Amino acid sequence: MTLPAIGRRLARSLLGWSLVWSLAVAAAVWLAAKDEAVELLDDTLMSSAEVLASLMVDLPAAVAAPSARMTVVTDHGSGRFAWQVVGPQGQLLARSSLAPVQPWLQQQPGFGDVGPWRLYALALGAGGRVLYVGQTFEERYEAQADIALSAALAALALGLLGHVWLRARVNHELAPLNRLSQRLSGYDPLAAGASLGAAEREELLPVQAAIDELARRLARRVAHERAFTAHAAHALRTPLAGIDAQLAVALREAPATLQPRLQRVRDAAGRLQRVVAALLALFRSGVELQPQPVDLGTLLARLPADGLQVEVPAGATLVADPDLLTAALVNLLDNAVRHGAHRVRVSLPRPGQVRLDDDGPGVPAERRLALQQALDAQAYEGRMGLGLMLADMVARSHGGRLLLLPTATGFAAELHLTP
Amino acid sequence: MRLLLIEDDDILGEGLRDYLRAEGHGVDWCRRLADTAAYRGEPYDGLLVDWQLPDGSGLDWLREQRHRGDTTPALMLTARDRLSDRIQGLDSGADDYLVKPFAPEELAARLRAITRRVSGGTAARRRFGEVEIDLAARSASVGGVPADLTAREWAVLEALVLRAGRIVTKPDLEKLVLGFESELASNALEVHVSALRRKLGRELIDTVRGLGYRVGVGQ
Repeated sequence: MTLPAIGRRLARSLLGWSLVWSLAVAAAVWLAAKDEAVELLDDTLMSSAEVLASLMVDLPAAVAAPSARMTVVTDHGSGRFAWQVVGPQGQLLARSSLAPVQPWLQQQPGFGDVGPWRLYALALGAGGRVLYVGQTFEERYEAQADIALSAALAALALGLLGHVWLRARVNHELAPLNRLSQRLSGYDPLAAGASLGAAEREELLPVQAAIDELARRLARRVAHERAFTAHAAHALRTPLAGIDAQLAVALREAPATLQPRLQRVRDAAGRLQRVVAALLALFRSGVELQPQPVDLGTLLARLPADGLQVEVPAGATLVADPDLLTAALVNLLDNAVRHGAHRVRVSLPRPGQVRLDDDGPGVPAERRLALQQALDAQAYEGRMGLGLMLADMVARSHGGRLLLLPTATGFAAELHLTP
Repeated sequence: MRLLLIEDDDILGEGLRDYLRAEGHGVDWCRRLADTAAYRGEPYDGLLVDWQLPDGSGLDWLREQRHRGDTTPALMLTARDRLSDRIQGLDSGADDYLVKPFAPEELAARLRAITRRVSGGTAARRRFGEVEIDLAARSASVGGVPADLTAREWAVLEALVLRAGRIVTKPDLEKLVLGFESELASNALEVHVSALRRKLGRELIDTVRGLGYRVGVGQ
């Protein structure tokens, strides 16, 4: 899932604003320029008419006689203006090539609109002739549109430039947040003198204050847990050792009929000892992981096997916290015994991985997958026994996890002790 | 072996004392460090010391013993299982370190191992002429034929073998075998030595008249 990004959202907003801004500027320019443009174009129309009229007054012969043939003057100019000379009876005497063949008739001299034309009428001398100079509305609109478009493009260019600039600015301003994330990833609130350093921005002050407070609470809690573990270790370990010693003496002194029952009590006490040792080891896992090279054969030889035959390849070593690895292996072996296995083969398929294959009845594939899902989600509660949970927690404290593998016979588990 | 056990927990202390006595060791049990003053100078084969005691640290006590020149093999018994604790324990003069909970069988085996180391080598088997003594298996044989020894007889033999070549006085041997608290009939020691000679041959144990007993001379 892609989360909304502050930088992207700001950049998108600015891009949208740039477009709206350029349209708004274009509209404003259009409205503001409209009257001015009309006035300017009208002035130009009038000036053109007056210049043309003065030229025609100087050359009356060309258009003097009403009987004379109508003159068409080819327009070589920009094509923005057209003109007609209309006689007293409304007959067209002369026109430019762009002007229509129908005479423009307007009652009053001055400005007027006829069809698609904006006209300026001017009496040409005293003969009743009228000079009309016209410009199409289309031409006039085009001029206005050119002005508005230029303004809009300038606004858009400014907007886009602003978009690029703001994006760079946002990235620059968000950099302290990235640096804070980097510092956080290497931040160990339990380390002596741990500090996130000074905040780089005012807005980050409350964030860093909240993180510092969280770290302080975490450190206090861990300190309490450590104190509890030390206390619990003493409070639990000594009576457990006492129970075992008393049972060992009782086993020597008890009559033969009581021996099997006492032995079962001693076995149960032994299991209790192992579980307590594993729990105490886990209490401090992640806080004080002490990885070192461990010889699997030596370690497994020390573990109680309860009639289980454990096979380990000679010289099998790996790097792990020996106490935690012991806790995991004891519980996995205990699981194997309780599920009816007689033999467990231990192997190291890859560095940092320990695999256990037993010859017990195993579990159906659906059950295995359900267990694996629960392990992956760390949803242990009510889904599995203490053995798998402890083994998974030990693996996770090393940065790995516990995998339950498909196998033709028995049960296979793989402890991954590296990320 | 004669052992001094310093452990404040009644259930554990009593269990270990009874277990080790049943193994044939003489055990004196103190619940506090202050109580150990009464046993100062006694010839112990091993010290079993709890770290945390009501009136002080067993570790400090052991360090003090070492400072005084006492080299009796010592085993720390403790609930503290961290690596740093173990290192500190061993650095303070302990010969071994056992984390609670432990099986008394393991404690007994470790005791045998450290006393063997201290008494001259790691070999569990010692040979004196025809007699072979296995300190780990707690057994003896003559010309390959196993001898059937009682716990007390074994305790006497072990105390002498661990001090092979040295004279062990009768009072010391009584203390080594039976501990400070035990009562013993005045001729009990002679009875055990006599039984050992009968089972293992007369040559194994010398009587140094007026001084005590000795094994391992001229064999």
